This record gives sequence, C-alpha cells and structure tokens, in this order.
Amino acid sequence: MLKKRVIFTLLYDNGYFMLSRNFRLQKVGDLQWLKKNYNFSHIAFSIDELIILDVTRGKRDEDKFSQHIHSLAEECFIPIAAGGGIRTIDQARKLLHSGADKVVVNTLIGKYPNIVKKIAAEFGQQSIIASVDVKTIDNNFTVWTDNGSTLQKESVVEWLDNISRLPIGELYLNSMDRDGTGHGYKIELLECIPSSFPIPVILAGGAGKYKHFSEGLADIRVDAVATAHLFNFIGDGLEKSRTWLRNNGNYALAYWDINRAHLLKNNFIEHNEV
Amino acid sequence: MSIPKVTVIDYGMGNIWSVMSAFKYLGAEVELIADPEEISKSSILVLPGVGSFKNGMESLRARGIDEAIIDAVTNKGVKILGICLGMQLLGSHSTEDDETDGLGLLPNQVERFTSKEVCGRKIPHVGFNSLHFSEKKGLFEGLPYLADFYFTHSYRMLVDDIHGRYATCKYGVEFLSAYEIGNICGTQFHPEKSQTNGLMMLKNFVKL
Repeated sequence: MLKKRVIFTLLYDNGYFMLSRNFRLQKVGDLQWLKKNYNFSHIAFSIDELIILDVTRGKRDEDKFSQHIHSLAEECFIPIAAGGGIRTIDQARKLLHSGADKVVVNTLIGKYPNIVKKIAAEFGQQSIIASVDVKTIDNNFTVWTDNGSTLQKESVVEWLDNISRLPIGELYLNSMDRDGTGHGYKIELLECIPSSFPIPVILAGGAGKYKHFSEGLADIRVDAVATAHLFNFIGDGLEKSRTWLRNNGNYALAYWDINRAHLLKNNFIEHNEV
Repeated sequence: MSIPKVTVIDYGMGNIWSVMSAFKYLGAEVELIADPEEISKSSILVLPGVGSFKNGMESLRARGIDEAIIDAVTNKGVKILGICLGMQLLGSHSTEDDETDGLGLLPNQVERFTSKEVCGRKIPHVGFNSLHFSEKKGLFEGLPYLADFYFTHSYRMLVDDIHGRYATCKYGVEFLSAYEIGNICGTQFHPEKSQTNGLMMLKNFVKL
C-alpha cells in the first residue's frame, strides 16, 4: 500500500537556516550548527522526504546553495526537493545535479510556464513540485508569489486549475497565515482543490504538535504533511511523532527501523554484523 | 574484514550522488567509472539510472559499456545491482518507445502500468510502498516484515518465470520489485532513498 508522508522543510537564507513566522525570517544557525548541534542527519531518519528552499530575500548565491544541498544529501537517504527563485532551466538543472531529486517552483508557474514544461521534458513530471503560498484577506484566500510579496489576481481555485494543466508532479499548499505559528494546518484551504485534482497534495504551514500532523494526514485530500519549524519537533520530537502517528492514525506511514542507522554507519569498517 | 570497493557505472543517466553517498555511509570505498576497461576489472558493480529505457540502452552502447557489463557478469562472475532503470536494463526488453532490447542478463520483460490494472491510481507510482519477500535471505536478510521502499516509475518488470530470490510489490497489480538471481540483483525502488531499509539491502548486496 502506498504510504502517506511526513516532510521536513528547511528554509535557507544566504548560508543560514531560518525560522519563518508569517513569512518574516529569523536566523537560527548555519550548516555546521544544523549538523552538529541540531543533529540533522539523525532527525532525517524520522522523515519521509526533505525539502530545502532558498528563501534569501536579497541576491541569491546559487553555487553556495547547491553546495549546501550536496552536503545535506550525503547523509539523508530519502528523496530531496530543492527550490527557491528558479527562473531558468539551468537553475533547475543545477539543483538536480547537486543531489536534489525534485525542484520546487512557485513564482515560475505564473510567470514562465514554458520553463516548467521544459524541466518536465528533461527530468520528468514527477521531478516538479508546485508551491503555492496562500493568505487570507477579508475572508478570501489569495495567492502570493515572490517570497509572499506579490499578490496575484487569480483566485486560488484558478491558480490550482492552471497547475493541474501543467506537467507538475505534486502540490505544496502553504498557509501564510499559519506559517510558523504552531496553531495547526489551515484545513479549509483544501476546499480550494478541485475534486479531480490529478496530483498529490502536501499540506504546509502551522504544524506545532503531532496531533496537527494527524489532522492533516487523516484528510483524504492530503498525501503528505510538512513542517518548516526547526524547534516545534526538536530532539526526538519527530521520531516520537512518527511512532505515535503510525500506532494511532487511521492512515498508513512507511516503516523502517531508525535504531539501525548508527549500526549501518561505517558498517564495513567498524562492525562485522548488524 | 577488508573494506569493499563498489564500482558505480556512470553513463549519464540520473542522480548518482545519492547511490555513492549510501555506499560511503556504509563504509565502502566507492568509485565512479565510465570506461568499459575499468568495468571488467571491478568486483562489485552498481548500475543506477533514471530516465527512459531506450536512452539508457543507447547511452550504454555508445560508451561500449553494454558488452563490458555482460562480459563481467556472465564470464567473470562479477556481481551487479541494477537500480530503478538500471534494474530494468538488465532484463530482456522493454515496450517503452516501441520495443527496445535490454542487456538480457535475465529473461524478464518491462512494460508500462496500464491505468486499468492500477485501478485508476496515479501513474507514475511514486512514494514508499511495502514489499513481499520470497524468502528473508541473501539480499533480503534481516529486513522488517512488509518493509517500505521508495519507488518512482511508470514502467515495471513482469514477475513471470523468476528463478531465485525475489520481492514483489502491489500497486493495483503485482510487479517485480527486487530480485537476486545468482550474481545478478536488481531493485525497482531506490534503496539509496529508502532510509535504513535501503541501507540494509545495499549492505546485504555487498556481503553476498
């Protein structure tokens, strides 16, 4: 049986990993911090997929971002998606050649749909995730692009309808209102998704505890839930959430033995048997 | 125990970094090779790959790697692991882009999922899905019951006439998801993207 997924999203800004609250960024630590202090490679054994987004507000350093992806990919044995500011096929290609399996596009969808088609022709439709940032204004859901700074005139329904006609593999639906708040997912956002929407849906924005993951995963319209909060599930928080979700949820999550990770590391050098 | 050396074949198809990283995590020495001469000197071969069957075969032939693999595996007894497209290329032929012959190291064919047999599920089949093992030995030693592995594919190998250890997966229809036939192994899923389940299987492969 095909499983639902728990996804971790890392927000990157010019060499640092960030916390975001309603799209306002706060610097947390660099790659060294993420690996040594945050113990990211251990935490990565409790998630199904990793997304790394370059949300740099000023000028992006693409080489530096690619090096960060490559370094993270060395000790994460799950699918990895990367994105942020992609406007050309060369930028997508660079990420896909740096250890990413998929790219995340957002502003590109409305601005350069032909580039989306070109990426799909070269790497396949499954290699593209469309991210959509939604904000509530006067009780209406609105679409924002360019790191949440530009309001689009199309409605969310129109925007999603456009996505369904492009060669895109997955939808990452993010609530800007709930982003970083820990108040739970904006489940009502799912009502904007057409009933025959052809691709898997990742729900993002607002997860603060494992019950929020559970609420998202229990919804038939949701294929995966994401969190970008570095501290809501710190330490063994994700590992405990995963165990709880597998034992108590009315949905299927993939199983592997997390405790084997350290026995497998350098197995041919240090251990004779697992 | 000496440190094993794994040779990953580079023929320009797909994300080879993850495959190399996974073997390095296990403590193996890893080399990336595109030269057919070097392939015949190695003892543990890995054929990764993402993309179309036809492009994959053309790319192997253009580099003279196809003959080198067949010679190493059939005449020298070198063990090989094909991953995703790499697994399919070890088979007899595929219906992708008309009929394309594979390396023919095993007789199984590759065909596309039809929307009828997957009962309207989405194609490609993408995500973690569980395996059923013919026996928990060799390549499948020590893996958890119904262990999950990460798949992303639209074509799959048919289960017919399989002689050896194998694992199947069900996505509306049952298909061949892994095999170990003598020195020839393959996985339709990505062990390098399947957490400790995948790392276990790669370790098992090296130790076969």
